[in-house]
Amino acid sequence: MATTEADDTGWMRVIRERGSRPPMALPTVPRPRLTKFALPNGLSVVLAPEPLSPTTSVWVWYRVGSKNEWPGITGASHWVEHMLFEGSPRYKKGDIDRAVVSVGGELNAFTDTDFTAYFTTVPREHLSVPLDIESDRMTRALIADDEVARERTVIHSEREGNENWPEFRVEEELYQLAFRVHPYRWDALGRREDIERMTAEELRGYYRRFYGTRNAILVVAGGFDLAATSADVRHRFSPLPATGDDVRVAEVEPDQRGERRAELSGPGTTPYLQVGWRSPALHDPTTPATMVLDTLLGGESRLFAAGPGWGRGAREHPSARLYRALVDPGLAVRATSEWRPREYPSLFTVQALAARGVSLDRLEAKVEEVVDRLARTGPTAKEMEDVRTKVRRGAALSYEGASRTGFRLGYFSVLRSPEFEDKIYRAVLRTTAAEVKLRARELFRPAQRVVVRYEPIGGDRDE
Amino acid sequence: MSESSNPLEIEYGIELDGLRVVRQASPAGAASFSASYVGPAGWGFDPSGLEGTARLVNQLITSAAGARDRVELARALDRAGATLSRQSAPESGEVTIWGPATGWERLLGILADVVLRPRFDPSDVARARRQIREVQLREATQPANRAERELWRTVFPDGHPYRESGLGSATSVDRIARADLVRFHRRHYTSGDAVLVVTAPARRPAVERAARRLFGTFAETRGPRLALPKVRAPAVATRSVDLPGRSQVEVRVGGASIARSAPEYPAAALANEILGGRPLLSRLFQRVREHGGLAYHASSSLEAMRFAGHWEVQAGTGADRYRKVLPMLREELDRLRTDTVGARELAAIRESAIGEIPLALESTSDAHELAVDVAYHRLAGDYWLRWPAALRAVRPVDVREAAEVAIDRRSSVTVLAGPLGSR
Repeated sequence: MATTEADDTGWMRVIRERGSRPPMALPTVPRPRLTKFALPNGLSVVLAPEPLSPTTSVWVWYRVGSKNEWPGITGASHWVEHMLFEGSPRYKKGDIDRAVVSVGGELNAFTDTDFTAYFTTVPREHLSVPLDIESDRMTRALIADDEVARERTVIHSEREGNENWPEFRVEEELYQLAFRVHPYRWDALGRREDIERMTAEELRGYYRRFYGTRNAILVVAGGFDLAATSADVRHRFSPLPATGDDVRVAEVEPDQRGERRAELSGPGTTPYLQVGWRSPALHDPTTPATMVLDTLLGGESRLFAAGPGWGRGAREHPSARLYRALVDPGLAVRATSEWRPREYPSLFTVQALAARGVSLDRLEAKVEEVVDRLARTGPTAKEMEDVRTKVRRGAALSYEGASRTGFRLGYFSVLRSPEFEDKIYRAVLRTTAAEVKLRARELFRPAQRVVVRYEPIGGDRDE
Repeated sequence: MSESSNPLEIEYGIELDGLRVVRQASPAGAASFSASYVGPAGWGFDPSGLEGTARLVNQLITSAAGARDRVELARALDRAGATLSRQSAPESGEVTIWGPATGWERLLGILADVVLRPRFDPSDVARARRQIREVQLREATQPANRAERELWRTVFPDGHPYRESGLGSATSVDRIARADLVRFHRRHYTSGDAVLVVTAPARRPAVERAARRLFGTFAETRGPRLALPKVRAPAVATRSVDLPGRSQVEVRVGGASIARSAPEYPAAALANEILGGRPLLSRLFQRVREHGGLAYHASSSLEAMRFAGHWEVQAGTGADRYRKVLPMLREELDRLRTDTVGARELAAIRESAIGEIPLALESTSDAHELAVDVAYHRLAGDYWLRWPAALRAVRPVDVREAAEVAIDRRSSVTVLAGPLGSR
């Protein structure tokens, strides 16, 4: 039975209570018609049929991520992500890959702080292949000792590949510095020492505790018959036991009472800077204004960016404030901001890669000047109009293709619900310049600033 | 003439002073539009001593064009909900616009502005120069980039377009003046030897009318010719670059290969897929990662371009493991050439390659890539319709023979870049 999910968030109530804006039609993000239901075992199901699509994309999003780990087993969610490809009683090692790839499908998975997502896109006539795989590995992955031992080096290797980049080292340090209590203080890849130490038994325990129907959302998007697929999903997933512990995080990060900073050095060529400010969780009333700030400073919003990809692109935004202040005059070769929607308070960050001969002191001072000015004077009316245009246009074509549809529906479902997308979209469009200015003043306070600077050893070399 | 509604069937239309206008139907249900110009503007054409020119021009033409400076161009794209992307390659320069199909003619106008009337504003030139300098520095010190650079510099001789990455050096980029950029643009963003590929829910006459109106004013109509020096056996078989302080060693083995138009291409493509090109099923992935647990990535690629090509095998692994990984890569390369692939393995890879074709029809941008590929390489309009039959005609012995020509380790170069001496 299709149901409608109520999702009144705090910030929506605040927006309505103000009630001083002129009435306007409620805009929505254009997307396929949805059918949603929940199975008695707690599995949430979202079906988005597109009759003309030649492909079908199946996604399983678990509300489990590195936020659910603890010191000693950091990186467990990511490791479990790998292990869910490595065998079950029904699918021996390699069988999952073979089953999907042999029909021309593609599959992958990714892990973040708040979630882990698995996806498979296949030609539409092969929909049963991913449904069977997902219904199996949701609760029956083996995570065998020998496979864990072998995968340990693979995970090490993945981390080492990231460590080759100064940007990864800086970001890892930034979150470690900003958080003392909350699990956001480690990266989803986990700490090197924990990857070295973690046992297969611990991984199995973590999997059995959190991965299950109660913490999962199944999304099917693209070409399929709605009635037949609804029945098939119920048939395959209803027998699964109702499992999955509470994934809420009890630790609350105390307020930051002063600036924190770290200086890193290592191999590289260019001085690099990240500045973070403590930013509220996604459900906070100030989220829409924070998204506007991100668009003003960096050029686009993470949730509503135009383009054929799955999210924010690597485009340059010459009208963005950071670009104009740092890249145009030759202080930086790249400069942008980033706000990621997160379940718990996290960071709003600014990143800048210094131009040749420019010191990090000068770069940092300029970043401060940019955010201070925004906090003092707020955005112009033209800037606000540009932001609204970007958000509207970014949302317009965001559901083209089964894979992209599955991604967005799953992403918003794991954050809140598919309807949450429309709510936040409307709220961003209704945000005023005064709200943005106020938000900037609250956000960019020196006492809640975290700074990590990276000085390359050896400096500029041309070989 | 009837028009195809199948995005797998690419329609060659009119020629405008040599510019071939190609139309592709949008995938069913898609609401976006893509158009690309691909011209003879790759870094293989960089003037001697001014290396980096092609990449700078490619970057700058999407910055500001016609009456719009960079801010105005960005605003015009934002207002339209569109994006511009660019690609610089050894043989070609490419610019693509993507946006809502409802405004496709307006977007095609922006693409025309960008291709025909770039401004090369001095402040943009200065900024692009700073940015390319930073990428040059990274190329020298990032293990993956450095390994690639050393590989192709060793495989290909001086003056070969595939030898360099197009970034030039600090000296060459500093030497490039605005006039050099303008000159390169005029000579290489031509109508001759170029294609305009349009993927839109529009009929061919409408596409051709718009193309005629918007792309009829190229300064140069003749495409330049690319010189390809003969590739000889490399003087050095292995290069090692120690980059202390890094975490991972990047391993590359590679060599020269065939052009896309070569008759053995379908068999060579399958040989590459068997070796390491097909994710998850390939021999390298299975042996190095799945069974060996030695690396996060181990794969191969075959870049068969218009005039020739190259292949490579790549893996990233720890400083304590690359000595185990390298022999595996070499053994698998040799096995491809010396042993005939089993019929079952070939069938699995082949059917996977055929089965994935619908995935390219998910969205306009995915389908558009197929059309650009066909149009740039001058392949038949029904190439993708015939591709399954071409693959099914490949026999196990063809794979081995193609590997001898297209993925031959005997004339390859090995590069190791990373913390080789630090552990």
